[in-house]
Amino acid sequence: MKLRPILGYTAAGATVLVALLTPFFLYDFFSKGVVALPLHVDEVYSGGPTVRTIPMGAYSINVHRPVYPHMLQSEKPFVQLDWQPVSALPQHISDVVDIDGDGQPGVRVSFDVPRDPKAPLHVDVDSLNPRYESMHHAGKEKYSRLIVRVDNVILVRVPLVR
Amino acid sequence: MATDARILPLTRPAPRGILRSLLLTLPIFIWSPLMMGFRPGAKFDPVSTTAAAITALFMTVLFYIMMRTNSTYRWRRIFFVSLGILFPIGFIHNLYVMRGSMGIPIEEMIAGRTPFCFMPIPLLILPAAFTRTVIFPGSIASSSHGIAAMVGLWLALTLVMGKGWCSYACFFGGIEEGVAAIPPRAKIRKLDPRLRYIPWAVLLAMVLLSLALFEPAYCMWLCPFKAVSEYVAARNTVGLVQNVIFILLFAGLVIVLPFLTKKRTQCSWFCPFGAFQSIFNKISIFEMRIDKERCKPCLVCQNACPNLSLSKESVARGETLLSCMKCGACVDACPRQAIVWHIKGTQIAWKPERARLMFLYAAWAMAIMFGGSIIAQGIITILHVFV
Amino acid sequence: MCHLSPTPARMAREYPLMAAFVSYGEALALGLASGPACIAACGPVLIPSMLTERTGFRHHARYLSAFLAARLVGYMLFAVVAWELGALASMLPAPRLLMMGVVYLMLACVLLWYAYSARRSCAPSCADSKLIQIGENRNRNVAGAAALGLLTGLNLCPPFVVAGIRAAQLGSMAAALVFFLAFFLGTSIWFVPFVGLGCIVRNQAIITVARMAMVLIALYYLLIGIAMLLGKKTYGY
Repeated sequence: MKLRPILGYTAAGATVLVALLTPFFLYDFFSKGVVALPLHVDEVYSGGPTVRTIPMGAYSINVHRPVYPHMLQSEKPFVQLDWQPVSALPQHISDVVDIDGDGQPGVRVSFDVPRDPKAPLHVDVDSLNPRYESMHHAGKEKYSRLIVRVDNVILVRVPLVR
Repeated sequence: MATDARILPLTRPAPRGILRSLLLTLPIFIWSPLMMGFRPGAKFDPVSTTAAAITALFMTVLFYIMMRTNSTYRWRRIFFVSLGILFPIGFIHNLYVMRGSMGIPIEEMIAGRTPFCFMPIPLLILPAAFTRTVIFPGSIASSSHGIAAMVGLWLALTLVMGKGWCSYACFFGGIEEGVAAIPPRAKIRKLDPRLRYIPWAVLLAMVLLSLALFEPAYCMWLCPFKAVSEYVAARNTVGLVQNVIFILLFAGLVIVLPFLTKKRTQCSWFCPFGAFQSIFNKISIFEMRIDKERCKPCLVCQNACPNLSLSKESVARGETLLSCMKCGACVDACPRQAIVWHIKGTQIAWKPERARLMFLYAAWAMAIMFGGSIIAQGIITILHVFV
Repeated sequence: MCHLSPTPARMAREYPLMAAFVSYGEALALGLASGPACIAACGPVLIPSMLTERTGFRHHARYLSAFLAARLVGYMLFAVVAWELGALASMLPAPRLLMMGVVYLMLACVLLWYAYSARRSCAPSCADSKLIQIGENRNRNVAGAAALGLLTGLNLCPPFVVAGIRAAQLGSMAAALVFFLAFFLGTSIWFVPFVGLGCIVRNQAIITVARMAMVLIALYYLLIGIAMLLGKKTYGY
């Protein structure tokens, strides 16, 4: 039966065509297709979306939505706070942050801002609300409990009490 | 199916004529510079232009030789080994320029700047399907290193080549293929056929563990190619153990065993992505088939296959196993031209050169687009650093 | 919540039927919500072991039933012991980590033994009449679905801990056990589709792959178990 060879060669020709179209059309088409999917990077990495900004004069604090990891992940739930821009931060930060937006203090966050952007950071967090855990001289131990500098932002992740 | 012996001679054909070879190479001669960026209005500096020109010429010459000699494997291997060597040169150099080390600091992971490699693709599917979450510390919509870019590329290349990805696109496999080519003879010749099942077991275990732990388990625990790309900087004992594991796996599976067996041992005995790609051989229109009337069987093809994709049973059935990488080693090795390139649906061994040509045009075009750009980047790095 | 509404203890005294309905309904709902996490946690153990079994819907249904029954026994055992020790509500991280480490090591050993014993192609690694057998017997038969179910039941995954803390607030051990039973039923509904694995054709390749996967997963549990016993952080980043 001649149909099968015809289909075979047609498919082979189409494959060559796909190869030729890829750099001009298909690569973009597929990539945009993936972007259009309702996917997001795990918030344990990304920190979750920003829900509030607290102006502090020359700088501001972004409060993110609390992140609740997948049940079997070893990370604790946490909330991320961003201090930005780093260039406008004083040498020492000691801010009381209302995380929930309920008018009550949530945590007091204290850390030094070194001039060298590669210098290690450490943070002390005093819990003023039983929902949040305190941290003492925390570095970057785990995703749910850290202070790091990313570009012009210093971000602190405060674990939530389970 | 009766084979007309006049269609294929029993001995290897004479080399193709120079003019005919040049004519067949012409499309690649036009495609190569186009893919290397030689277009109207494109701006170049001397280093980039030199690297692009070298790469375009390199790929074109190799294709010409494939046409002239009617053979594939040896010349494809030259491209593939070059890719395997030049990728780490360009990539690692870039890492040192950007952040001073191969270790990925947590800051980069939080910022979503971890370059996305194709290896975790099968591990991401189930978590993404169930929770719409991508369990990789990258960025979905960034430029060349983003998740969407690599997935888009992977999709296109897989549609064209199936598991031919492992012979024309994977920028890791060339290292062990190069090591396997060094010794004249294999020191270990008897290989247990059950070793072929390990990649599937690794795939099953890593998919299940990734879903359970919500992390790309293969990348965190096993991937040996972190030794030539990047790895998570260890911040505790378990991280240190993970790093020791990948170093040992690289030494064993990518250097020592290929040297002793002359096989691509990481690819055929371990790589879960390779097992995943094998599935796509089912939809790929190109394959290798054996003309059973012509076949002896002497099993020279089985010995020649770098990937253990031929067994006595599969040869008796007239086909390769699902793990076939379409490298052409078996076709070039067969003394009776019994194993041939084939387009599904067509008659076996009837004008197999046509099938080979169609596959090579598609695969080589993709190889130039993807691998060629990586080779060019590697050459740029060498020119910048050493010249 | 209105300050006049009854506390759980008062509700249990004055409206016992309604209290039972609310609390066990809550347990069932908690189980249903935790089900995906449970199948994700049990998947690495259950799927390779089921793939080494022969095909057949009924055989797999029996296998799964034995696994789940033993898992329930594990839940109940823990609930009784912890209630008696008064530790159900506290669940301190350190002893929990130690116990998880021991369970992981035992799970690794059972998986390795299972993988070794399933070497006869397409033969059931636990024969029909020996599904609840645990440990070696005279004929050196392998620990079966029950051993795996028991050990996964003892694995203190977060949904189980949440259920344990809630159960500890109830008035009696009997109530806590029934709470766990309802929770278990909620999670077990999610396991029903695993019976479909009985439809997958079995041959030497599938069984070999499943056995190899069990070895890999066992090695992972072994490493993590040792790390937990040594008090080391069990993640690499």
